[in-house]
Amino acid sequence: MSKDEHDHRHCLELFEKLSEYLDNELDEVACKDIEKHIKECVPCFVCLQTLKRTVDLCKQAENRMVPEDFSKKLKEVLQNMPKTPPAG
Amino acid sequence: MTAPKRANRKEIKDKDFELIRAINAGQFDRFPDLVKRYEQKLYNFSLRMCRDAADAEDTVQETFINVFRYLKDFRFETKFKNWLYRVAASTCIKKRRRSKFAPQRELSLDEFYPQSYTEVPHQVPDWAQMPLDKLLSNELLDKINEAIFTLPEKYRLVIVLRDIEGFSTAETAQILNLSDANVKVRLHRARLFLRDRLKGYFENE
Ligand SMILES: [Zn+2]
Repeated sequence: MSKDEHDHRHCLELFEKLSEYLDNELDEVACKDIEKHIKECVPCFVCLQTLKRTVDLCKQAENRMVPEDFSKKLKEVLQNMPKTPPAG
Repeated sequence: MTAPKRANRKEIKDKDFELIRAINAGQFDRFPDLVKRYEQKLYNFSLRMCRDAADAEDTVQETFINVFRYLKDFRFETKFKNWLYRVAASTCIKKRRRSKFAPQRELSLDEFYPQSYTEVPHQVPDWAQMPLDKLLSNELLDKINEAIFTLPEKYRLVIVLRDIEGFSTAETAQILNLSDANVKVRLHRARLFLRDRLKGYFENE
Protein backbone atom coordinates (compact mmCIF):
# COMPACT_ATOMS: atom_id res chain seq x y z
CA MET A 1 0.00 0.00 0.00
CA SER A 2 1.48 3.30 -0.99
CA LYS A 3 2.10 5.80 1.73
CA ASP A 4 2.68 8.81 -0.42
CA GLU A 5 -0.63 10.53 0.14
CA HIS A 6 -2.03 9.37 3.41
CA ASP A 7 -2.43 6.28 5.48
CA HIS A 8 -5.17 4.22 3.87
CA ARG A 9 -5.77 2.06 6.88
CA HIS A 10 -8.27 4.64 7.98
CA CYS A 11 -10.00 4.33 4.58
CA LEU A 12 -10.51 0.62 5.16
CA GLU A 13 -11.90 1.23 8.61
CA LEU A 14 -14.39 3.71 7.23
CA PHE A 15 -15.20 1.51 4.26
CA GLU A 16 -16.87 -0.92 6.67
CA LYS A 17 -19.15 1.76 8.03
CA LEU A 18 -20.37 3.41 4.85
CA SER A 19 -23.76 1.70 4.82
CA GLU A 20 -24.41 2.58 8.44
CA TYR A 21 -23.45 6.11 7.58
CA LEU A 22 -25.96 6.23 4.71
CA ASP A 23 -28.63 4.78 6.99
CA ASN A 24 -28.01 7.32 9.75
CA GLU A 25 -27.07 4.57 12.15
CA LEU A 26 -23.76 5.95 13.35
CA ASP A 27 -23.24 8.15 16.36
CA GLU A 28 -22.24 11.74 15.91
CA VAL A 29 -18.54 11.19 16.43
CA ALA A 30 -18.37 8.47 13.78
CA CYS A 31 -20.40 10.59 11.35
CA LYS A 32 -18.13 13.58 11.79
CA ASP A 33 -15.14 11.33 11.30
CA ILE A 34 -16.45 10.13 7.94
CA GLU A 35 -17.51 13.57 6.82
CA LYS A 36 -14.11 14.98 7.61
CA HIS A 37 -12.34 12.11 5.88
CA ILE A 38 -14.29 12.24 2.62
CA LYS A 39 -13.53 15.92 2.26
CA GLU A 40 -9.88 15.03 2.11
CA CYS A 41 -9.97 11.63 0.47
CA VAL A 42 -11.38 11.41 -3.04
CA PRO A 43 -11.40 7.58 -3.30
CA CYS A 44 -13.53 7.31 -0.16
CA PHE A 45 -15.81 10.05 -1.44
CA VAL A 46 -16.25 8.11 -4.67
CA CYS A 47 -16.94 4.88 -2.76
CA LEU A 48 -19.61 6.59 -0.70
CA GLN A 49 -21.30 8.22 -3.70
CA THR A 50 -21.41 5.05 -5.75
CA LEU A 51 -22.74 3.10 -2.79
CA LYS A 52 -25.40 5.71 -2.17
CA ARG A 53 -26.48 5.58 -5.80
CA THR A 54 -26.62 1.80 -5.67
CA VAL A 55 -29.05 2.01 -2.76
CA ASP A 56 -31.15 4.61 -4.63
CA LEU A 57 -31.33 2.33 -7.65
CA CYS A 58 -32.20 -0.69 -5.58
CA LYS A 59 -35.15 1.21 -4.13
CA GLN A 60 -36.45 1.67 -7.68
CA ALA A 61 -36.57 -2.05 -8.41
CA GLU A 62 -39.82 -2.68 -10.21
CA ASN A 63 -42.80 -4.59 -8.96
CA ARG A 64 -44.93 -6.91 -11.02
CA MET A 65 -48.67 -7.31 -10.82
CA VAL A 66 -50.03 -10.48 -9.27
CA PRO A 67 -51.34 -12.65 -12.13
CA GLU A 68 -55.14 -12.59 -12.03
CA ASP A 69 -55.45 -16.34 -12.39
CA PHE A 70 -53.27 -16.86 -9.38
CA SER A 71 -55.16 -14.30 -7.34
CA LYS A 72 -58.40 -16.15 -8.08
CA LYS A 73 -56.92 -19.53 -7.30
CA LEU A 74 -55.51 -18.24 -4.02
CA LYS A 75 -58.90 -16.94 -3.00
CA GLU A 76 -60.49 -20.31 -3.68
CA VAL A 77 -57.85 -22.25 -1.80
CA LEU A 78 -58.25 -20.04 1.24
CA GLN A 79 -62.03 -20.14 1.08
CA ASN A 80 -61.88 -23.92 1.26
CA MET A 81 -59.75 -23.93 4.38
CA PRO A 82 -61.51 -25.37 7.44
CA LYS A 83 -63.29 -22.49 9.16
CA THR A 84 -62.23 -23.38 12.65
CA PRO A 85 -58.48 -23.39 12.33
CA PRO A 86 -56.76 -25.77 14.73
CA ALA A 87 -55.06 -23.86 17.54
CA GLY A 88 -51.28 -23.90 17.59
CA MET B 1 -28.69 -16.54 17.47
CA THR B 2 -31.24 -15.10 19.81
CA ALA B 3 -34.30 -13.14 18.92
CA PRO B 4 -34.11 -9.62 20.23
CA LYS B 5 -36.03 -9.32 23.46
CA ARG B 6 -38.75 -6.78 23.33
CA ALA B 7 -40.55 -7.02 26.60
CA ASN B 8 -42.62 -4.27 28.19
CA ARG B 9 -43.14 -2.51 24.97
CA LYS B 10 -45.60 0.26 24.49
CA GLU B 11 -48.75 -0.76 22.72
CA ILE B 12 -48.25 -1.00 18.99
CA LYS B 13 -50.48 0.82 16.58
CA ASP B 14 -51.24 -1.10 13.45
CA LYS B 15 -53.94 -0.55 10.86
CA ASP B 16 -54.36 -4.34 10.53
CA PHE B 17 -55.18 -5.11 14.17
CA GLU B 18 -58.85 -4.30 13.91
CA LEU B 19 -59.30 -6.60 10.94
CA ILE B 20 -57.36 -9.41 12.60
CA ARG B 21 -59.43 -9.14 15.77
CA ALA B 22 -62.57 -9.37 13.66
CA ILE B 23 -61.31 -12.45 11.84
CA ASN B 24 -60.23 -14.07 15.09
CA ALA B 25 -63.66 -13.32 16.52
CA GLY B 26 -65.15 -15.50 13.81
CA GLN B 27 -65.60 -13.24 10.81
CA PHE B 28 -63.73 -15.57 8.47
CA ASP B 29 -65.31 -13.93 5.46
CA ARG B 30 -63.03 -10.97 6.10
CA PHE B 31 -59.85 -12.97 5.63
CA PRO B 32 -59.79 -12.14 1.89
CA ASP B 33 -59.49 -8.45 2.87
CA LEU B 34 -56.26 -9.27 4.66
CA VAL B 35 -55.03 -11.18 1.61
CA LYS B 36 -55.89 -8.25 -0.65
CA ARG B 37 -53.80 -5.93 1.48
CA TYR B 38 -50.67 -7.97 1.11
CA GLU B 39 -50.80 -10.30 -1.86
CA GLN B 40 -49.13 -7.82 -4.19
CA LYS B 41 -46.27 -7.14 -1.82
CA LEU B 42 -45.81 -10.77 -0.89
CA TYR B 43 -45.85 -11.84 -4.50
CA ASN B 44 -43.01 -9.48 -5.36
CA PHE B 45 -41.07 -10.42 -2.25
CA SER B 46 -41.44 -14.09 -3.16
CA LEU B 47 -40.45 -13.47 -6.78
CA ARG B 48 -37.27 -11.82 -5.60
CA MET B 49 -36.52 -14.72 -3.32
CA CYS B 50 -37.57 -17.62 -5.58
CA ARG B 51 -37.12 -16.01 -8.96
CA ASP B 52 -39.29 -18.64 -10.62
CA ALA B 53 -42.89 -17.40 -10.97
CA ALA B 54 -44.47 -20.76 -10.12
CA ASP B 55 -42.32 -21.08 -6.99
CA ALA B 56 -43.25 -17.54 -6.01
CA GLU B 57 -46.94 -18.39 -6.31
CA ASP B 58 -46.46 -21.50 -4.18
CA THR B 59 -44.67 -19.44 -1.57
CA VAL B 60 -47.42 -16.83 -1.43
CA GLN B 61 -50.05 -19.54 -1.15
CA GLU B 62 -48.21 -21.43 1.58
CA THR B 63 -47.62 -18.21 3.46
CA PHE B 64 -51.29 -17.26 3.48
CA ILE B 65 -52.33 -20.79 4.42
CA ASN B 66 -49.98 -20.56 7.40
CA VAL B 67 -51.29 -17.14 8.26
CA PHE B 68 -54.84 -18.50 8.17
CA ARG B 69 -53.88 -21.40 10.42
CA TYR B 70 -51.87 -19.45 12.96
CA LEU B 71 -53.58 -16.08 13.02
CA LYS B 72 -55.25 -17.15 16.29
CA ASP B 73 -51.79 -17.22 17.86
CA PHE B 74 -50.92 -13.71 16.78
CA ARG B 75 -50.11 -11.78 19.95
CA PHE B 76 -50.33 -8.17 18.76
CA GLU B 77 -46.78 -7.66 20.04
CA THR B 78 -45.48 -6.71 16.64
CA LYS B 79 -46.98 -5.20 13.54
CA PHE B 80 -48.90 -7.75 11.54
CA LYS B 81 -46.82 -6.99 8.46
CA ASN B 82 -43.63 -7.95 10.30
CA TRP B 83 -45.16 -11.19 11.49
CA LEU B 84 -46.37 -11.91 7.96
CA TYR B 85 -42.89 -11.43 6.53
CA ARG B 86 -41.48 -13.69 9.19
CA VAL B 87 -43.79 -16.42 7.98
CA ALA B 88 -42.96 -15.60 4.35
CA ALA B 89 -39.21 -15.55 4.92
CA SER B 90 -39.23 -18.94 6.62
CA THR B 91 -41.38 -20.35 3.83
CA CYS B 92 -38.83 -19.08 1.30
CA ILE B 93 -35.93 -20.53 3.25
CA LYS B 94 -37.61 -23.93 3.41
CA LYS B 95 -38.22 -23.78 -0.31
CA ARG B 96 -34.61 -22.99 -1.02
CA ARG B 97 -33.61 -26.62 -1.01
CA ARG B 98 -35.61 -27.11 -4.15
CA SER B 99 -34.42 -23.96 -5.86
CA LYS B 100 -31.89 -24.15 -8.65
CA PHE B 101 -31.06 -20.49 -8.50
CA ALA B 102 -29.55 -19.62 -5.17
CA PRO B 103 -25.79 -19.87 -5.04
CA GLN B 104 -24.84 -20.39 -1.42
CA ARG B 105 -21.69 -18.62 -0.52
CA GLU B 106 -20.28 -16.13 1.91
CA LEU B 107 -19.44 -12.66 0.72
CA SER B 108 -16.40 -11.29 2.46
CA LEU B 109 -15.63 -7.65 2.80
CA ASP B 110 -12.17 -8.12 1.28
CA GLU B 111 -13.54 -8.87 -2.11
CA PHE B 112 -15.04 -5.42 -2.24
CA TYR B 113 -12.10 -3.40 -1.00
CA PRO B 114 -10.77 -1.25 -3.76
CA GLN B 115 -7.71 -3.14 -5.04
CA SER B 116 -5.59 -0.20 -4.28
CA TYR B 117 -6.77 3.21 -3.34
CA THR B 118 -4.67 4.68 -6.09
CA GLU B 119 -6.76 2.70 -8.60
CA VAL B 120 -10.04 4.10 -7.43
CA PRO B 121 -11.25 6.73 -9.87
CA HIS B 122 -10.54 10.16 -8.57
CA GLN B 123 -13.81 11.45 -9.88
CA VAL B 124 -17.34 10.44 -9.11
CA PRO B 125 -18.53 8.51 -12.17
CA ASP B 126 -21.46 9.95 -14.13
CA TRP B 127 -23.86 7.23 -13.10
CA ALA B 128 -23.43 8.11 -9.47
CA GLN B 129 -24.15 11.79 -9.87
CA MET B 130 -26.69 12.00 -12.66
CA PRO B 131 -30.28 12.72 -11.51
CA LEU B 132 -31.95 9.41 -10.78
CA ASP B 133 -34.83 9.86 -13.24
CA LYS B 134 -32.41 10.57 -16.09
CA LEU B 135 -30.53 7.41 -15.31
CA LEU B 136 -33.48 5.06 -15.00
CA SER B 137 -34.39 3.02 -18.00
CA ASN B 138 -36.10 -0.33 -18.44
CA GLU B 139 -32.77 -1.83 -19.28
CA LEU B 140 -31.24 -0.56 -16.07
CA LEU B 141 -34.20 -1.77 -14.00
CA ASP B 142 -33.81 -5.21 -15.56
CA LYS B 143 -30.13 -5.07 -14.75
CA ILE B 144 -30.86 -4.29 -11.11
CA ASN B 145 -33.41 -7.07 -10.81
CA GLU B 146 -30.93 -9.43 -12.42
CA ALA B 147 -28.16 -8.35 -10.07
CA ILE B 148 -30.39 -8.90 -7.04
CA PHE B 149 -31.05 -12.47 -8.19
CA THR B 150 -27.35 -13.23 -8.28
CA LEU B 151 -26.91 -12.40 -4.59
CA PRO B 152 -26.61 -15.42 -2.31
CA GLU B 153 -29.90 -15.89 -0.49
CA LYS B 154 -28.93 -14.80 3.00
CA TYR B 155 -27.71 -11.45 1.66
CA ARG B 156 -30.62 -11.12 -0.72
CA LEU B 157 -33.13 -11.60 2.08
CA VAL B 158 -31.58 -8.75 4.04
CA ILE B 159 -31.26 -6.24 1.20
CA VAL B 160 -34.76 -6.99 -0.08
CA LEU B 161 -36.26 -6.44 3.38
CA ARG B 162 -34.19 -3.33 4.11
CA ASP B 163 -33.87 -1.47 0.83
CA ILE B 164 -36.84 -2.69 -1.18
CA GLU B 165 -39.49 -3.46 1.44
CA GLY B 166 -38.32 -0.65 3.68
CA PHE B 167 -38.08 -2.46 7.02
CA SER B 168 -35.74 -0.98 9.63
CA THR B 169 -32.63 -2.77 10.85
CA ALA B 170 -34.42 -3.81 14.06
CA GLU B 171 -37.47 -5.07 12.19
CA THR B 172 -35.35 -7.02 9.72
CA ALA B 173 -33.43 -8.56 12.61
CA GLN B 174 -36.70 -9.63 14.18
CA ILE B 175 -38.11 -11.05 10.95
CA LEU B 176 -34.99 -13.09 10.24
CA ASN B 177 -34.06 -13.93 13.81
CA LEU B 178 -30.68 -12.26 13.50
CA SER B 179 -28.86 -9.70 15.59
CA ASP B 180 -28.93 -6.07 14.46
CA ALA B 181 -25.17 -6.25 13.90
CA ASN B 182 -25.58 -9.25 11.65
CA VAL B 183 -28.23 -7.50 9.58
CA LYS B 184 -25.92 -4.51 9.12
CA VAL B 185 -22.98 -6.64 8.04
CA ARG B 186 -25.04 -8.56 5.50
CA LEU B 187 -26.67 -5.43 4.18
CA HIS B 188 -23.37 -3.69 3.62
CA ARG B 189 -21.94 -6.67 1.75
CA ALA B 190 -25.06 -7.04 -0.35
CA ARG B 191 -24.92 -3.39 -1.34
CA LEU B 192 -21.24 -3.60 -2.20
CA PHE B 193 -21.94 -6.65 -4.32
CA LEU B 194 -24.66 -4.82 -6.24
CA ARG B 195 -22.48 -1.76 -6.57
CA ASP B 196 -19.85 -3.89 -8.28
CA ARG B 197 -22.43 -5.31 -10.65
CA LEU B 198 -23.75 -1.88 -11.52
CA LYS B 199 -20.29 -0.43 -11.91
CA GLY B 200 -19.55 -3.15 -14.45
CA TYR B 201 -22.75 -2.31 -16.28
CA PHE B 202 -21.83 1.33 -16.64
CA GLU B 203 -18.23 0.74 -17.50
CA ASN B 204 -19.16 -1.51 -20.41
CA GLU B 205 -21.26 1.19 -21.99
ZN1 LIG C 1 -10.07 7.40 2.39
